[in-house]
Amino acid sequence: MTYTRKNQSRLTRAERRRFVDAVLSLKRRGEYDEFVRRHIDFYVADGERRLRVAHMAPSFFPWHRRFLLDFERALQRIDAAVTVPYWDWTRDRTPAASLWGEDFMGGDGRARDRQVLTGPFAHGGGNWTIKESVTDGAFLTRAFGNPPDPLDLPTADDVERALRETRYDVEPWDSTSKGGFRNVLEGWAPGRGNERWRNHNRVHRWVGGHMLGGGSVNDPVFWLHHAFVDLLWSRWRRRHPDAAQYLPLRPPQLGEPQYQRVLARDEPMPPWRATPGDLVGHEWAYRYEE
Amino acid sequence: MTARAGTPLTHRVGRRHLLGVAAVATLTAVGVLRGAYTRRGTGRTDHARPATEEGAFEETYRGRHIQGVPLASGDGRAPGDWHVTVDGRRLGVMRRADGSYLSMVDHYAAYGTPREAARGAVDELGAGEALRGHTH
Repeated sequence: MTYTRKNQSRLTRAERRRFVDAVLSLKRRGEYDEFVRRHIDFYVADGERRLRVAHMAPSFFPWHRRFLLDFERALQRIDAAVTVPYWDWTRDRTPAASLWGEDFMGGDGRARDRQVLTGPFAHGGGNWTIKESVTDGAFLTRAFGNPPDPLDLPTADDVERALRETRYDVEPWDSTSKGGFRNVLEGWAPGRGNERWRNHNRVHRWVGGHMLGGGSVNDPVFWLHHAFVDLLWSRWRRRHPDAAQYLPLRPPQLGEPQYQRVLARDEPMPPWRATPGDLVGHEWAYRYEE
Repeated sequence: MTARAGTPLTHRVGRRHLLGVAAVATLTAVGVLRGAYTRRGTGRTDHARPATEEGAFEETYRGRHIQGVPLASGDGRAPGDWHVTVDGRRLGVMRRADGSYLSMVDHYAAYGTPREAARGAVDELGAGEALRGHTH
């Protein structure tokens, strides 16, 4: 039985409530913090001589697709009707968007300590204490637009530039890849100041606070952001049906710089057995309402 | 956990940590870290100690004690790995392919040196907020 992921702006009031309730329930059971921990454990930068699967690597998309599927299955064990909604940040671009409503994600952090004070994930409500993170604060933090050096969310043009890329990824398969859908959408760019963050990365930076660092999963908007990133991968596939849907096809060989550092299409992707190739399609599990 | 079969990652991480601690202890003992430049009251300390710019550093930055020691390469470690702390707690600092550094506090900003990455992490810490000491 396949299910549908919806745009968060089109959820009914009841759908919003059921999503939030399921997330709070996972948190109460301790399962939510296992997802936070997993994301922290798998952050490996591309200057390190070891395998990286989640970021700065071709498997950025399949790794997060599988991560979201695990999370969604956990939610559905609590409420079978819940799916992960997506946040189209090219359209819902301001702190006034219903996304940040009192009944859904809650709003910005306050200036003094960036503490989120509104919504179900405000620490004061008693349901959302940060346990797994890089810093020791007990409350969720945000700093919309990065006030010390303000930036906007990515635009539809920024996304379009990524979707026009004709190859899934290009050598050297890391954050310095010049072109390729994966790196342009993940959003590592050269340059100075705010130019350096595009698309996916820029959204983490715009939300700020926990979303900026290793503990980004502590902010539930992480899932809505990554559902949209996942949808964009799906759009890229539709636009380039004849392109290789994942690269590289073969593992880099001994003597090549990326040897044992990135995954080829048919290699198991830790911590799962599934390969990137297994996750190229998602229609067997869910579809997006666009 | 992220390593392939046959790559003893847990062994490496443990060893890396031990080497880092040993390096800090040795450098402290021989006085390399002694007398770091500290300026209180102005909020920021922007002066590096030139003699240790390429090596270990220690300073007070915006009221936080930051310290960093380069780790010897080898044993699977990339050149450019550092053991960095803020107020004595470990700050995960990672190298990017372009030679810059990022920290666990901010995965998206790139810094030219581990010292700048440590300062950047301090900039992101709220008043009274400390690192938990987690690394990858």
